[in-house]
Amino acid sequence: MREAKDALVLLLAGGIGSRLNILVGHRAKPAVPFGGLYRIIDFSLSNVMNSGLTRVGVLTQYKPLSLMRHIGTGEAWDFTGRTRGIKILPPRTGEKDSDWYKGTADAIRQNIDFIQGNPSEQVVILSGDHIYQMDFDAMIAYHRHKKADITIGMMVVPKSEIHQFGAGIVDDHNRIIDWEEKPKEPKTNLASMGIYVFDTKYLLDTLSRNRKENDFGMHIIPRAIEEDRVFAYPFYGYWRDVGTIQSYWETNMDIIRPDSEISPEEWEIRPNTEADGLPMDRAPGRFISGCEVHSSMISAGCVIEGTVVNSVLSPGVIVKKGAVVRDSVIFEDSVIEADARVDLAVCDKRVSIGRSAIVGYGDNKEIPNHKFPSHLYTGITLVGKRAIVPAGMKIGRNCIVNPGYNGDNAVSPAKLEDGGIL
Amino acid sequence: MLKPSTLAMILAGGRVGELGVLTHYRPKSAVPFGGFARVIDFPLTNLMHSGIELIAILSQYRSYSLINHIGTGAAWDMIGRHRGISILPPFKDYENPHWYRGSADAVYQNLDFIRYHKPAEILVLSGDHIYQMDYRNMIRYHNEQDADLTAAFIRVEKKDAASRFGVAEIGDEHDEGGRLISYEEKPENPKGHWASLTVLCFRPEVLYEVLKENQSNSSYEFGRDIIPMMMERNMKVYGYKFRDYWGYTGTVDEYWQTSMDLLGSNPKIDMEKWGLRTNLEHRGIRDCQPLKVGSSGVLDNSMAYNGCIVEGTVKNSILFPGVRVEKGAEVKDSVLFFNTIVKSGARLDRVVSDVNTTFGQNVQVGVAGANGPDKVTVIGWNNHVPANMIIGSGCTVAPGISVEKWPQQGLRDLEDLQ
Repeated sequence: MREAKDALVLLLAGGIGSRLNILVGHRAKPAVPFGGLYRIIDFSLSNVMNSGLTRVGVLTQYKPLSLMRHIGTGEAWDFTGRTRGIKILPPRTGEKDSDWYKGTADAIRQNIDFIQGNPSEQVVILSGDHIYQMDFDAMIAYHRHKKADITIGMMVVPKSEIHQFGAGIVDDHNRIIDWEEKPKEPKTNLASMGIYVFDTKYLLDTLSRNRKENDFGMHIIPRAIEEDRVFAYPFYGYWRDVGTIQSYWETNMDIIRPDSEISPEEWEIRPNTEADGLPMDRAPGRFISGCEVHSSMISAGCVIEGTVVNSVLSPGVIVKKGAVVRDSVIFEDSVIEADARVDLAVCDKRVSIGRSAIVGYGDNKEIPNHKFPSHLYTGITLVGKRAIVPAGMKIGRNCIVNPGYNGDNAVSPAKLEDGGIL
Repeated sequence: MLKPSTLAMILAGGRVGELGVLTHYRPKSAVPFGGFARVIDFPLTNLMHSGIELIAILSQYRSYSLINHIGTGAAWDMIGRHRGISILPPFKDYENPHWYRGSADAVYQNLDFIRYHKPAEILVLSGDHIYQMDYRNMIRYHNEQDADLTAAFIRVEKKDAASRFGVAEIGDEHDEGGRLISYEEKPENPKGHWASLTVLCFRPEVLYEVLKENQSNSSYEFGRDIIPMMMERNMKVYGYKFRDYWGYTGTVDEYWQTSMDLLGSNPKIDMEKWGLRTNLEHRGIRDCQPLKVGSSGVLDNSMAYNGCIVEGTVKNSILFPGVRVEKGAEVKDSVLFFNTIVKSGARLDRVVSDVNTTFGQNVQVGVAGANGPDKVTVIGWNNHVPANMIIGSGCTVAPGISVEKWPQQGLRDLEDLQ
């Protein structure tokens, strides 16, 4: 049974997420495929649904088309009905505001009319790019019990990682008494998960105080801690920000570990069955005599003749005879031709890896990508949407094959050195 | 052309005794097939790909499972201004106190529904065959011949057809088929070698007339009564020669064989390429995560949909969503329906297991000695086979056997447990 009254949910889905490199070349970060059948945003949307919340606004900005198509009517997450609904809120021109979203708080401020038009006692603000399971109903109940103005979902992270987050120091009652945004030398290991519950009245008031305060973590929260009641809501489960290629890959790999803490099905995470290509209307995966599959997740519609180890395959991936896929994430309808090898790679949709080609060649994972050394430095190679890797080609570590590359200018046998870009 | 001109009537009323425990609680057309779908999804997908979007399903036996499966019809895109699937259950009214007394009677009782739609052709299909067919080719042929009835047939050996199918001799006028020369229902010594597929295309006025006349009879079947009557009257009856794969599911052995035909690198029907559709909301299979294969899992010449977890060995088998095969378990030549659980150490050989059945640790089913009958063992739904139980080959276990009823010594080959 639901504890709290129906709160309004605002999902921030506008960030570029540029560290995901070519995976976000044509789609917003929340729309990046994840875990075979899902998109990243499915986790947040399903958590909202499973918490019994029924009114959602999705704030989009960067390449929203793929995301909008994915959300559709919202039927997949039960957001259709007379009072339920999910609305896309792009930046727009108006009498006063006519600009792009300048930050998280600014994005919410530009949609004050939406908040006013959907009366609520609390507003839940989420970001659309985290992998986790959480009950917002319990969080709202906690918020009300604490009589808080703002409640922030927080969890303990290793001190070495805290520089990526907002960090809070709490008293014995979990009231936040100090705040550091992305601290270089942290005083705490309690990190903000970017999940906020605001009292609606308080939110409207605080946003109107200073229109130059554009960001929650940098401006709104630090001021609120000094002046108002801000509480931490401790979270103890699995939670990952999949904003970098490394964490995106690791989080995918986490699903297939034997002692995995993530189970999309047990978490009741719902993908959109009506999404492009009707991902569930695929026939069962077929495993041809002589294939070898271990420690992997394989979606319907795949045909496996070769070897798949420690990998996550989206629907319709074909692994031909003699081909080996290892430690990789392969999106929909990609084809790995006979005797090809894909090792430590993320392949976008409809990629073709030619006969006997190698993606992830050699053992040297130390040379970072020349152009994006901060994106690719652990050995992972990216292959962009619809790219064609010609037969026999060798592609090294930390490489990028750009979307749509068709191998036209390749010499045979072609080779891309570690850290290179095609 | 917006309004559909062809009305399809699917005969989905029957239970088919030979499928035994698989049809205790569902009509044959709702029996799971193909690793995620139901038998009726094959004709429905054929209709969808043939652009026929006005469909009635005649349903009588335990229709809930079927009604649940059809849902709104959206799964096959059959909703919209002129698209739709109607389920027509038997009913009582002023004149008629009966159940459906046969396939022809079922259609007759719904003539007002048919007339309302004013179809140009009426396609009558059986809901329980596994095949891929574009009905448009047959309808085109029917119209070219200006036929009263065109029926589809497949070539079989005479000995295989004896006492089993409706058998015809068909003229050689055209590539597609020809005038029906003779028709016999389940003959002992067939004259022809073309077996009826129960895919019938009627001229509506003629169908109305023959069905009405048939009412004075005491048998009401298309194969046994209607086609012979039309032949006798010398009406324009044509045979359409179907030359592709046709899978039967009338007995457990046929069901098993037709399932096995889906495996291998050249399956008889490539469901993925064809675009077989099922209702993903039925049993909530839309909510399954991808198949998870553990570090010790083996899948060989097999098929598995989302939602399965394989830690053991699976060979020549089909796993429906939610099947779990634990470490050390071995599944061979089997078809396991939704949510079947195979515990560690269990060995299944030639088993068809209905939904929600658990095989306890070290259970052996169908692992016969060298001289075993090598027949399929069927386990009904909601069973918990106790650990260490040994079940022979060709056995049948009724649904939901309570714990104390399981015999300690197990089941010998061909034994039944009720």
